[in-house]
Amino acid sequence: MTEYTANPLLWVLLVALVAAAVLVSRQRRAARALRQQVEGLRDRYTQLENNYGKSVQAAQERAEDETKTVLKSAMRTLQGLAAEQQLVLSRLQSKYGESALLEDLLEIDHTNSQFGRRAQSVAVLCDGWLGGRRDTASVYDVVRSAQGRIRHFRRVDILSRVDFGITSRAVEPVALALAELLDNATSYSSPDTVVEINIRTVPKGICVVVDDAGVGMSDEERARADKLLATERASGVAALGNPPQFGFAVIGLLCERFGFEVSVDSSSPYGGVRAVVLLPHDMLTAMPEKKAPAPADRPTARPVPDAGPEAVPAASRTDDGLPRRRRKRPMAIVPGSASAPRPAGRSDSEQARVMGAFQRGTRSGRGTEPENAENAENADRTSSTPGASSEGHEVS
Amino acid sequence: MTGRDGWTPESAALVRPYVITKGRNLPDEDALSLLTLVTASAEDTRRPARLSPEEQSLLDLCSAGYLSVAEIAGHTHFPLGVVRILLASLMEGGHLLTRPPVARARLADREILEEVLNGLRAKFG
Repeated sequence: MTEYTANPLLWVLLVALVAAAVLVSRQRRAARALRQQVEGLRDRYTQLENNYGKSVQAAQERAEDETKTVLKSAMRTLQGLAAEQQLVLSRLQSKYGESALLEDLLEIDHTNSQFGRRAQSVAVLCDGWLGGRRDTASVYDVVRSAQGRIRHFRRVDILSRVDFGITSRAVEPVALALAELLDNATSYSSPDTVVEINIRTVPKGICVVVDDAGVGMSDEERARADKLLATERASGVAALGNPPQFGFAVIGLLCERFGFEVSVDSSSPYGGVRAVVLLPHDMLTAMPEKKAPAPADRPTARPVPDAGPEAVPAASRTDDGLPRRRRKRPMAIVPGSASAPRPAGRSDSEQARVMGAFQRGTRSGRGTEPENAENAENADRTSSTPGASSEGHEVS
Repeated sequence: MTGRDGWTPESAALVRPYVITKGRNLPDEDALSLLTLVTASAEDTRRPARLSPEEQSLLDLCSAGYLSVAEIAGHTHFPLGVVRILLASLMEGGHLLTRPPVARARLADREILEEVLNGLRAKFG
């Protein structure tokens, strides 16, 4: 035993063994530390990657938001200007209503409405201001308003109507969505075809059906339209392509925000697209009271024009509050009219006396120089001012 | 514009006039001047449903007798030209009859009047 202990080799071996054990354990520890470090790094890496993705997305969203904000305020200016111009045009139209200028004013009005609609569409895509109406409007008027906002409004024919109104909140969105549908319908059908609109009551509310005689949509286009009309909205202003195709994106957003439905998944009997707008009950009201002269109190039996004063109905009022004028007597002065029967009970001599008095009266009233053609002409002109004013407008 | 309630400068009319006129052009000045007299045609008892509300209200205005174009325009809030276009289209549809404006009073020839008077005096008194 002692020789073993005395053997230096044993000690060397022992020392080596201990050193090896220490070394191994240290290596192990180092390896474990390394492994942990690698794992930590990997975690860090994925974390960074996630963060990167997130921040890219956030940056995109921020950029989108910034674009939207910029566009929104820009569109708001444009919308305001378009609305202002519309008012100016309305004023001009009533001011120059009697001149030939009116046709051009109406043309400008039309262009301005289209311009306003474009601005509104972009504003909708930017979650912006739509412009509001304070009054409810009849469904028919909302459809006509939509009709006025597209280029080829003459090709749109409204075939039926219903006696319902649309709440003031929904007037603009429905009009804008319909305008976009009509724009599509008229743009994708040949210029000599008519786009038909039918308004129907259905159990769920009111349907506005737009039928065009165009080429219809391919499956691909239909899928895209369905996607845009469904909840899955366009990923932003940037994704609309060039040239941008707003239509369905705008309609989809409006549907989502205001709660009506638009579907384009059926085809029209004329081969084109049938678009159906379903307005739910909570958007509908009773027919609004007409501000324009209304056909509401239409007399069932119209009096014959030349009937006597007894037949004249009680003086009604226009909706402007002005008394509606009724002729008390038939107009017999116009040549060729069905003249009033001569009042009986006047003898021939009486008649002649009346004639004489009339003649004396005109002579005294005419004063001097009745032969003077110029004077007569002047008197003539001053005596009939409406004619003179119409002449004045002809010149302008 | 007309000072009615609900007509505020902030909101223009929902339905623009060119939609109401369906984009038609102004009629001839000769065919429908300010002074032309208009009435609903007597045989037109059935009121077609296809007429726009504006056209129907114009027909209502005209139904009681002859009114001049200027008067009709005064009763509506539309520009005169718009009313003329609507009236012209109603005329085309046979819903309205027109008369030329009342002729301006012409000064009668004094000599003829005197002769008539003399004749009447000779006969009656």
